[in-house]
Amino acid sequence: MSRTALIVGMLWLAAADRGGAPAAAAAAADTADGQWTMPSKDYAATRYSALADITPQNAHALHPVWTFSTGVLGGHEGQPLVVGGTMYVVTPWPNVLYAFDLTREGYPLRWKYRPDVSANALGAACCDSVNRGAVYAEGRIVYNLLDGHTVAVDASTGRELWKVSIADMGSGETVTMAPIVVRDRVIVGASGGEFGIYGWLKGLDLNSGQVVWTAHNMGPDADMLIRPGTFKAPYDSGTDLGVHSWANDSWRSGGAPVWGSISYDPELDLIYYGTGNAAPYNSEQRLGDNKWSASVLARRPGDGALVWAYQFTPHDNWDYDATGAMILADLTIAGRLVKALVHFDKNGFAYTLDRATGRVLLAAAFAPVTWARSVDPGSGRPVLEAAKATGASRGNVKGICPSAEGGVSPSSPAAYSPRTHLFYSSTNNLCMDYETWRASHLKGTPFMGVNTPYSAGPGGHLGGFLAWDAGSGRKVWENQERYPNWSGALATAGDVVFYGTLDGWFKSVDARSGKVLSKFKVGSGVVGNPITYRAPDGRQYVAVYAGIGGDWALLAGDARSDDPTDVRAPADYMKDIARHTSQGGIIWIFGL
Amino acid sequence: MHPMHNHDHPCPSARLALAAFTALALLGCGRPAPPVAGSSAPPSPPGVSYEAHLAAGGIVPPGLTLRNPHAGDAGVAKSGAMLFKAMNCDGCHGGDATGWVGPNLGDARWRYGGADAEVFSSIYYGRPKGMPAFGGALGADGVWTLVTYLRSLPLPPDLPTESWEGQ
Repeated sequence: MSRTALIVGMLWLAAADRGGAPAAAAAAADTADGQWTMPSKDYAATRYSALADITPQNAHALHPVWTFSTGVLGGHEGQPLVVGGTMYVVTPWPNVLYAFDLTREGYPLRWKYRPDVSANALGAACCDSVNRGAVYAEGRIVYNLLDGHTVAVDASTGRELWKVSIADMGSGETVTMAPIVVRDRVIVGASGGEFGIYGWLKGLDLNSGQVVWTAHNMGPDADMLIRPGTFKAPYDSGTDLGVHSWANDSWRSGGAPVWGSISYDPELDLIYYGTGNAAPYNSEQRLGDNKWSASVLARRPGDGALVWAYQFTPHDNWDYDATGAMILADLTIAGRLVKALVHFDKNGFAYTLDRATGRVLLAAAFAPVTWARSVDPGSGRPVLEAAKATGASRGNVKGICPSAEGGVSPSSPAAYSPRTHLFYSSTNNLCMDYETWRASHLKGTPFMGVNTPYSAGPGGHLGGFLAWDAGSGRKVWENQERYPNWSGALATAGDVVFYGTLDGWFKSVDARSGKVLSKFKVGSGVVGNPITYRAPDGRQYVAVYAGIGGDWALLAGDARSDDPTDVRAPADYMKDIARHTSQGGIIWIFGL
Repeated sequence: MHPMHNHDHPCPSARLALAAFTALALLGCGRPAPPVAGSSAPPSPPGVSYEAHLAAGGIVPPGLTLRNPHAGDAGVAKSGAMLFKAMNCDGCHGGDATGWVGPNLGDARWRYGGADAEVFSSIYYGRPKGMPAFGGALGADGVWTLVTYLRSLPLPPDLPTESWEGQ
């Protein structure tokens, strides 16, 4: 689409949005690249925008044009949406939904929606009160509440259309992920890998919110929606693998939560999502592979049927959730064009899979890895380093890399540029000791039994941001960062890539070299994901949340300021983060 | 399940100290309500002086006298440290209660009061923002065991200032 046509389209959209023509707006949403209507920009989860006004030549002029305090202090993960002339923002608990009017000076609110969310959820959520965003579909904003509900709100009026209970907080289930919508199905999942939940994914009806199917991530084939003839795992065969790979029925409280993003291939009609860690952290209480924890699963969105599954970390010993983004891209590998799925795992390997079958095409370490030597191409299994196996009988196992924060946090989704053919991702350079003991399962309380002190990996810096060639499994460049890097990535057709740092710098860098083009100190550490859009004024803007949080390890010391009765010692590995940032939820918009 | 979890009945055995009995009576545990000190009236909110109520700041005004039967007992504190792990308290409050999802319990600062009876109430009945009520799972004696452990933690000097000058 030409720029003129796009602007005209956008103005029309803005008008339509105000006049309440949501169906037309939805139809245009797929093509009007000036918008950001899904959590990860598109079904392929590329976080790539075709907007190209901001370039390496002019990015130095980027400056803040607008800010807004959300009034909430929890970790601001996720990202805003921009649909027509409106920006939608979901806050961490208590999950307020703001709708800003981008057509008027100062972006005043059109409305705000304040659901009634239980404060008890704060004690059932492992890792702060985060929310990873909303999705727009057919005139609705759909998102999840921490206390286990999904809501649909009229995108024009802010009126609640439906609110349904999807998760049982009493069992330790909370909901932090951003849903996606495929046709009339809303796909949602629950957090709770630290509470021993029986992990699942659900498909709701977009019009009513009614649960149409529930698919567990382990357990009997019937619970997993494995139907005869539809399921073919690339490296496994047999029935009820989700039972037989868990000793003593441990699958019943085995975790495998869903708290990352979901992607979708319309041609194959498959949704892809990752599952979290197996519970408890003492792996000796759940001998076996523990399928399908720490895995990627491919399902039919209509009925939830499982089509294939691949386990990145069999018998997870290290809290290696696989909930990070599954990015779909067509790549040339060894001269052959492949429908690939690319995933940066907590376990430190970046995987390039065939997304039709789940077979591993390539796996290479993108961060320091000591728990395994490599991934065996024949079996798809990691080649383990025996000395790094953990368990209650093994005492304190030292020097495991990556740490339980991962080579990258699954909360920090990567981006893919089809122009550079590179993937862009935050990284953590952290290692850990891992001491575990027998954990008892008390419904609704943490099911862990572990202590995992962290330390800096090789080089002493704690994080970074890299460009990765997933066709060859090679790092192209990496910017070192002083602290673990927890923001998502944004790639643009202007060949400028954006990310934020934990100490509160928001940066634009050259997509081909990593050279920093601009940086600005926002009000708090960045754990959110930048987006870009074309506003009704015709200009390209970049928006990002500031608001450190999302993992209590990040808030050690006085980074927290809101509770005078909770004072903590600084983390050993990051003694001075509180010198550079404190909590605070702020939306920042940058322009040229 | 860990052997320390066998107190899962809300009405524990008669070996409990009389002080704990008072709290249990509030749960309607099928025993005659113990007499409220100095009164034979039916259960009703205890008398509170006006000034104490004004300053309560969200804390339940002191009415019932809850006394820790194990106060200062180092052996019980040690059991409490084990119970703190076994009941998954550390999963929220961190190893050695130094803070995680839930607040640091060893910083000499208390959201709902740090007297034995106040800490007992927090654990027994739960608190808003996600602190579960463990009275049912642990019984009064189990909760007092935890209180005794928490009160035994070495208190850091309360330095409200964190300085990076000279670094």
